[in-house]
Amino acid sequence: MKSAIHAANLTKKYGKRMALAGLDVDIPEHAVTAILGPNGAGKSTFMRMLTGLVSPDQGTLSILGQYPSWQLNASISYLPDRARWFESHRVEHAVEWGASLLPGFDKDRAWELVRALGLDAEMDVRGMSKGQEARLMLAICLARDVPLLVLDEPFSGIDMISREKIVAALIDSFSERRQTVLICTHEIAETESLFDYAVFMKDGRNAMSGHVEELRASRGSVQDIYRQLYS
Amino acid sequence: MNETTVGGMKFVLDLSQPLYEQVLAQVRSSIAKGEIALGEKIPSVREMAQGLKINPNTVMRAYQELERDQLTETRRGQGTFITTDSEKVRTIRYRLAEEAVDEFLAKLGSLGFTASEVAAILRSKGGEAR
Repeated sequence: MKSAIHAANLTKKYGKRMALAGLDVDIPEHAVTAILGPNGAGKSTFMRMLTGLVSPDQGTLSILGQYPSWQLNASISYLPDRARWFESHRVEHAVEWGASLLPGFDKDRAWELVRALGLDAEMDVRGMSKGQEARLMLAICLARDVPLLVLDEPFSGIDMISREKIVAALIDSFSERRQTVLICTHEIAETESLFDYAVFMKDGRNAMSGHVEELRASRGSVQDIYRQLYS
Repeated sequence: MNETTVGGMKFVLDLSQPLYEQVLAQVRSSIAKGEIALGEKIPSVREMAQGLKINPNTVMRAYQELERDQLTETRRGQGTFITTDSEKVRTIRYRLAEEAVDEFLAKLGSLGFTASEVAAILRSKGGEAR
């Protein structure tokens, strides 16, 4: 297995709280990896570190063979958690914005995604439901043909129909591109069939990781393992 | 575990077992049962992944295995088709029958039944046995 991301002994402290407490992990290339764990396990801190939004106190992190940097961010499509789009935009502005500012942005693909996700050009971001806005954010992310896609909580607080549309868009995207994908989610039951690899984080460390099909053979479903590890 | 039909084939996936093996086994059994006919086109990797809501890599792995077993063939630019060779399908049917019988015998063996007792049970159920 060739890894796209290699982290060794990463630590990050916020005040007295250790968000990452010696995280060791290797994320395989061209696979869909789930980053799992309860709130406060360090998932978002790790995701933010990948794009250089947070820097580690200690340890090493290499992404596609490089250190995190703004230059490297051209190769990463990142959906932050609790992300919002510009209120004053319409969908068409968002696509134009993406086309002029985001490296690797494929405008035709963006329009396909917008349509597939049930949005249209005229829609105002201001009047969107949370689910619609999440779909727009995802369309903008998936429209980028870049080596690494990082999605922090793409499903949280979103209605079922939006979630189903997002899952379908992800499957199409995985079929078309050989991207390395990281998804952080709490919606395990609905999404575990999408994962090639899973990392279970606990207290800022890697509690367990492996290829999901092998984990299924040896320990059961991702949901079962999650229960064993955290309850 | 819900039943899903994709391209005329029925699937029930259990997330606590490897999905690739289940997709493979269930396509095989669809062929054996004739749910999908000889020479018929099977869904593309993407269609199957969408239908089952699973990772396309998993579907790809199952499809590669079917191709290795020569149960399917890919025609460039046209897609993947079930073999037209009825002998291959016959082989698969017998293989599935053997697997079922092995499972059955193992279960009765673990309950302490001897071969002649098993044969007697089969006869009493109207099955043929020597």
